[in-house]
Amino acid sequence: MLKIEHLKKTYDNFSLDCSLEVRKGCITGLIGQNGAGKSTTFKAILGLISIDSGNITVLGKDIKKFTTKDKEELGIVLSDSGFSGYLRIKDIIPILQNMYEKFDKSFFLEQVQRFQLPLDKKLKDFSTGMKAKLKVLVAISHNAKLLILDEPTAGLDVIARDELLEMLREFMEADEERSILISSHISSDLETLCDDLYMIHEGKIVLHEDTDVLLSDYALLKVDRKQYEELDKRFILRSKKESYGYSCLTNQKQYYMENYPKIAIEKGTIDEVITMMVRGNKS
Amino acid sequence: MKGLLVKDFKLMKLQKNFFLLIVVIAVSMIAFTDDVTFPLGFLTFVISLFTLSTISYDEFDNGNAFLFTLPITRTNYVVEKYCLSLLLGCSTWIAATVLTMIASILKSTFPVADIMLIALMILPIMIMIQAIMIPFQLKFGGEKGRIALIGVIGLVFLIGAVIVKGAEMIGIDITNMINTLPVISMGMLIMIILAAAIVIFLISLKISIRIMNKKEF
Repeated sequence: MLKIEHLKKTYDNFSLDCSLEVRKGCITGLIGQNGAGKSTTFKAILGLISIDSGNITVLGKDIKKFTTKDKEELGIVLSDSGFSGYLRIKDIIPILQNMYEKFDKSFFLEQVQRFQLPLDKKLKDFSTGMKAKLKVLVAISHNAKLLILDEPTAGLDVIARDELLEMLREFMEADEERSILISSHISSDLETLCDDLYMIHEGKIVLHEDTDVLLSDYALLKVDRKQYEELDKRFILRSKKESYGYSCLTNQKQYYMENYPKIAIEKGTIDEVITMMVRGNKS
Repeated sequence: MKGLLVKDFKLMKLQKNFFLLIVVIAVSMIAFTDDVTFPLGFLTFVISLFTLSTISYDEFDNGNAFLFTLPITRTNYVVEKYCLSLLLGCSTWIAATVLTMIASILKSTFPVADIMLIALMILPIMIMIQAIMIPFQLKFGGEKGRIALIGVIGLVFLIGAVIVKGAEMIGIDITNMINTLPVISMGMLIMIILAAAIVIFLISLKISIRIMNKKEF
């Protein structure tokens, strides 16, 4: 559905070098801190910025050859941009009808009702939650094949976030061919939704793993100095010095549970894995 | 492109009070004064400036980034703005001309042919002003665009003055030259100016497309 190969983009004090893939029927997450390169990647996919080198194919087509017809197959949410704040939902409906051949007005209105979004209020006066829901709603209302969502959950409370994720699940259930690329700087927003996750740090992809594997096989070993020295470090991805000794990140939890029954092993949350990948030392 | 036009009309509807005010001022000028040129020009120019305000609205809050993820191209966007400016400019121009004619017939102030001539002079000027302002607005945005525009107008005057002064210094009297140009009919002159305005408009369109295609959001 979407494939990025060695996308490179250099700014004065930042350089991006990113490869990733979104498979058909999958929800792929892109996690990274603020400024890690998520939005730059998204903008490059959408042709909003020029790229220095690399290939981007969306729906099997090079983005340089993308036509307006192809763009109708995409649903987009950008974190820092949307419809003009001076428009109302009432104004947006005819715009979308004239933009997208497959715009589903009755579905759109149904969802507006469901989330109690006001038809007659300017978008700039919407709450953060309402704005976010409307953005996602606009993206899913024209039968898109691929959603590209940049930080759709940023700034939301837990309830609004869950409602939003529910919208995305329903979107995926309706058609098995659909895919989503979604980013967030908060991993817990994504771990219940995504099939696989990419972690990006300082413009580079530092980890790619299926969410299931990430949750089941990754773990943190808490060891003292002596245990650390005796430890088989073949499956240690990163380690970090702590007050008690070392904490080590592994992607072979089972191996250490069986061979080192005395070591304290904690199930790694995605946030901990990210912190280790970013802060820890390679071993 | 139709979607973009719908969006722009929705945005312009926000300024409907301002729009009505301008219409009221222009209509009362036509009704209560004997001056024809001013209300005619005023109405045509001010309304055609609404195109620029839609560009500002698009830019507001980084809205352009999202706009260009919709199924449109950057070229579509620019072409739509030029169409909109012609649509607004020409329709107000026609309306203003008709109004002025009716008023002058009722008040029997000016011959209709004279009004037609004035209106025909205003049309190419309106087109040229659009052709100059839109690329500036696209390139520099609302605030900086205005400053850049003032700078350019100043520069044009300066160059004009330098040319006239320079010509005087080497002994050519430009004013005299214009006055003694071979006399061609007024109609012909207007046609030439109008053709020139359209050429400038098309060149401006091309420049604007290039500006937009280079932009990053």
